[in-house]
Order: sequence, then C-alpha cells, then structure tokens
Amino acid sequence: MILNLVKTALVVTCIIVVGLSLSTPSHAQDFAKGSNAKEWGLIGEEKATFSGKVVDILCQLSGDCPANCGKGIRNLGVLRSVDNKLIFVTKNSQPAFNGATEDLLPYCGKDVDVDGVMVGENEKIAKVFLIQFIRIGGEEKWNKANLWTKKWQEKNPDAKGKGPWFRRDPRVAKQIKANGYFGLGHEEDERWRKAEEEE
Amino acid sequence: MQNVKAIFSLVSVSLILMVAIISPSIAASTAKPVEIKGEIIDTWCYLSGVMGGPDAVIGTAHHTCALWCAAGGIPVGVLAEDGTIYMVLKLKGEDPLAQSDTVMEIQSNKITAKGMHYLRDGVNYIVVENVIANEGITNRNHEDYGVVPPFAIPKKK
Repeated sequence: MILNLVKTALVVTCIIVVGLSLSTPSHAQDFAKGSNAKEWGLIGEEKATFSGKVVDILCQLSGDCPANCGKGIRNLGVLRSVDNKLIFVTKNSQPAFNGATEDLLPYCGKDVDVDGVMVGENEKIAKVFLIQFIRIGGEEKWNKANLWTKKWQEKNPDAKGKGPWFRRDPRVAKQIKANGYFGLGHEEDERWRKAEEEE
Repeated sequence: MQNVKAIFSLVSVSLILMVAIISPSIAASTAKPVEIKGEIIDTWCYLSGVMGGPDAVIGTAHHTCALWCAAGGIPVGVLAEDGTIYMVLKLKGEDPLAQSDTVMEIQSNKITAKGMHYLRDGVNYIVVENVIANEGITNRNHEDYGVVPPFAIPKKK
C-alpha cells in the first residue's frame, strides 16, 4: 500500500515537474530571433536579444545595494524578464579590452531591451553576455554599447599620446613599469626579447 | 474517508518530492563561506576564446592582456584548481571597478582566498574578503606560448 502510494506520488511529481519546466517561458523563447548582433566567432556564441532590468550583480545576490548601481564601480547585468535569469554582462561592443558597466550604468534600475551575443560553455563554467546594443524597453532607437573609451578619456585627461587607451592607461603603465610585461620583472622581458631576436 | 486520506497522503508525498527536486536551484543563489585556491584571470579572454585556448590566456603569457582587461572593467575571476571560475565581485572590501591598484597588482597571481560564494544561473561569484596566501605569478607559460596577444609587448624602436 505504502509502496504503491510512493510510486504513484513519484509519477505525479515527475509529471508536474516536467510540465512546469516545459511551460517555463525560457524554454519556448528563441533569444536569437530578431537579433541584429554581429557574430564574433567566440566559444559557445549565440545571438541573443531580450528585455529585462539593469541591475547591480552584487546587489541582486547579497542585498548590498549602493545608490545608482555603484556609480560605475560595480559589475552590472540584466535581470531577464521572461525567465528571471540574471545575465552577467561582461563585455561591450568595442574590440579593445572594454567592459560593459559604462554602457549599462545610464539604465540602472530601468527596463531595457538589449542585443548581443551570449558567450561561453554554460554547462562547464559560465555563460556571459557581450552587449552590442541597448535601448529603453520598447523604444524604437537602439544605442550602440560603445561608451567605454569615451568615458576613459574623460577620466584620464592627462593620458595623452599616441596609441590606443591601453598603451596610455596610468594603472596599466604603473604595473608594467614595476614588474614588466610578463609580471616577472624587466630582466625576464629582456631575456625573452633577446631569444626572440635570435630565432 | 479512506480515499480522502490516500489523496492527502499522495499530495503530501508529491509536494515533498517536488521540493526535494526543485530546492537545489532555489538554494543556489544563497551565500556560502568558501576558501578557494587558484589564479586570478581575465574572465573574458578565458570564456570567449578570443585570444586562444584556455591554457594560453592565463599566466605570464597573458599577463599584460589581463592588466588591460582589468583596467578596462572586464570582470576578473579566480580560476580554481578544479576548473571552476569564480567571478570576483569584491576584492578585500573594494569594488572591482574602483580605480585603485588592488585589482591590478594581483593579476595572474596564484592566491588562496576566503570569502562568500554565490551561485546564480550557472555563474559562480565570489566576494573575496581576505587573501590568506599569495604565491605571486607562478604560471610561466610564456615559455610555451610566448606573448598572448603577440602585440602585448611592443616592438623596440
């Protein structure tokens, strides 16, 4: 009697769980549909456009919530409306070592539409989002997610000279000056350079 | 009456089983204290493969690029010895994009960190409260991979 009851309960539970998971909107959603994102040819890359709210990741996880999403010093993401998934936005559309916080910050706490590519092998380690376009939810005009270098220039007015920002960034320059390009000291840099020249 | 009891029992057992099946995903975003050992890495190059395979985008070979990415506001992570990547949301009380040297000085270092671990939607996060050991840069993989990317070390004029 008890065994039959447990068996029946197990079957009922499985049916309910499978039913619930199949009815979850994310399973029905094709996030690539309608995306105008450019492909970068990255690991596990999938085009994705979706709606959600711009959030401070640490605030979402821990309740530690400074004003205005940390005003640029926090990692930000998008809480996807359709399935309540927290999407970690780690890269903007610029191909120059730039994160996404500057592009998301103006939309802190607001409902937005975003377009870009999901990247990474989720089943192994993590899947993150490269944002290429953003707009207030439902608006017609998309904005390019490429603010980082402009904001860097504003913060570093004295970092003049030729070359891209990463050749002129004072914090990068300080570390290379102290420990070299490999982080092992300048002697190792020189040893490697000589070996390269000899080859 | 017996039927009512049987239905009640069936519903109760079903609910218990459902909670047991679903609870891992609910509990996944709660904080847990953790101690991890691993290398501080640039998560974008590691996850995306944009600069090459995973063994080439860590260590000394990729050190300068890791500095660029950290300064550029790309999340840094700890690549733990079991292959898990923990996204660093705070480092010794500092927010990661604060314009300080803390996050820069620790790039490519092998550390042991204590902090709070969060798992949400397939991504592991860590608030590093303390770095209890720092072995410095130990992965000398430039001896195998050279410089990644090759332009990281500018040519001498």
